[in-house]
Amino acid sequence: MVLNIPYIHRSLLGPIEASEICLKCGVCCVLDGYSCPVQYDAQFKPTYTYVYDCLGAETPSRNPNIWQCVSCHKCEETCPYEVKPIQFIEDMKQQAFREGLAPESILAEMKQVVTTGYAFPITSNTAKQREALNLEPLKVNTSLINLATKLGVKSQIMGAETNYEI
Amino acid sequence: MRFSFFKGCFIPVRFPHIEKVALQVLPMLGVELEPVEEFTCCPEPIGVNLPHRFLGTVISARNIAIAEEKGHDIITICNGCTYSLHQVNERLKKDAALREKVNKSLEDTGHRFRGTIRVRHFAQVLRDIGQNRIESLVERPLNGLRVASHTGCHILSPPDVMDFDDPQYPVVLDQMMEALGAEPVKYLHSTQCCGWTLSNFGERAYANKLLRDKLESMKAMRADCINVICPQCLAQLDTGQVLAARSERLGFKLPALFYLQYLALALGYSLEDVGYPNHRVKSTNFEQKLGGINA
Repeated sequence: MVLNIPYIHRSLLGPIEASEICLKCGVCCVLDGYSCPVQYDAQFKPTYTYVYDCLGAETPSRNPNIWQCVSCHKCEETCPYEVKPIQFIEDMKQQAFREGLAPESILAEMKQVVTTGYAFPITSNTAKQREALNLEPLKVNTSLINLATKLGVKSQIMGAETNYEI
Repeated sequence: MRFSFFKGCFIPVRFPHIEKVALQVLPMLGVELEPVEEFTCCPEPIGVNLPHRFLGTVISARNIAIAEEKGHDIITICNGCTYSLHQVNERLKKDAALREKVNKSLEDTGHRFRGTIRVRHFAQVLRDIGQNRIESLVERPLNGLRVASHTGCHILSPPDVMDFDDPQYPVVLDQMMEALGAEPVKYLHSTQCCGWTLSNFGERAYANKLLRDKLESMKAMRADCINVICPQCLAQLDTGQVLAARSERLGFKLPALFYLQYLALALGYSLEDVGYPNHRVKSTNFEQKLGGINA
């Protein structure tokens, strides 16, 4: 059973203050088979975990490591003190985007979605495979472009190179 | 049961054979799929939703509103689509102020979020149809096939919202494999992430080490193959396994298939029918075991 102590005043705090509740116990990053996947990155150690790196950075939104978080919720589930590192990291991603610090790969994916309706590029191989399986060809959907313009996001993402391929 | 079929991006673009299998087998269980052309990306939770949560919310709300106009619940075939759409759907149903704001942004599109439908992953729909019903339709039980299931993060958590399974001790996929006659395998790293984001926004080399631990813990429990319900997990455990095998010198192969493919096999389809030749990891042990079942 996970020891769970509710921190009742969390809702009154901003993300930075909330992150200061972290006891640095490391549980979220060192449980074998059930913890943060980014801990596999060799720059992190049991004594300096991925979560400390995100929570303890001088200017957390400028820390490029925040973009490695997959939002798997393991840290949130295992934290004995309800720090919710995932919420902090997600808040920092939003702040970084507002500050123009989102990496090119993120901007490119956003552009890909907004301009085509698909997060992944439709390739000639896609068309070939779908035809062989007797499936409808995929059509680009441009209806999100106006939405992005209305929300003021379009100008921020249109400069990105969409060579996003995995 | 009729659903608006939300096929997402990754499956139709990269694994169209899974879309084909879904269209073939789900109706056999009474799950009818209605194609919806106007759907866009859900949007992808990590790359789009997080950097700009409101844009993500509006895009999801537009998709849900379109399904509402058709009058059916949404069925997905991807954990990521479920994570984005289901969370927005539930949040907007509860938060009237946010709903108004979102609907204001949707004004020019002619769509309006009303909160009248549910978003369901196909695994949730099959769980609710029940083990007994699935079992009764099986023509070729996968007896003796040892299957390591990987549920994936985004359908498990947060558990109170996603309502699928226990994130620390998931059992639903094991029960669903049992319904097909297969032997579920418990293994140490079953709840570890597949490493998708680590390989795409971090370093592939570290994802390979994660995959090594995961695959070795499956192998240690004598698994023949892997079961997944999310296309990103499939890409990692199939294509990613090839890369990890090279860098980590893995001396074995564990084919990874989508649950719908196992379901199709148990309903009488062949490995060719379910698109197994398109997968990167193939193993003769797995093929022979299935061959024995099919004979």
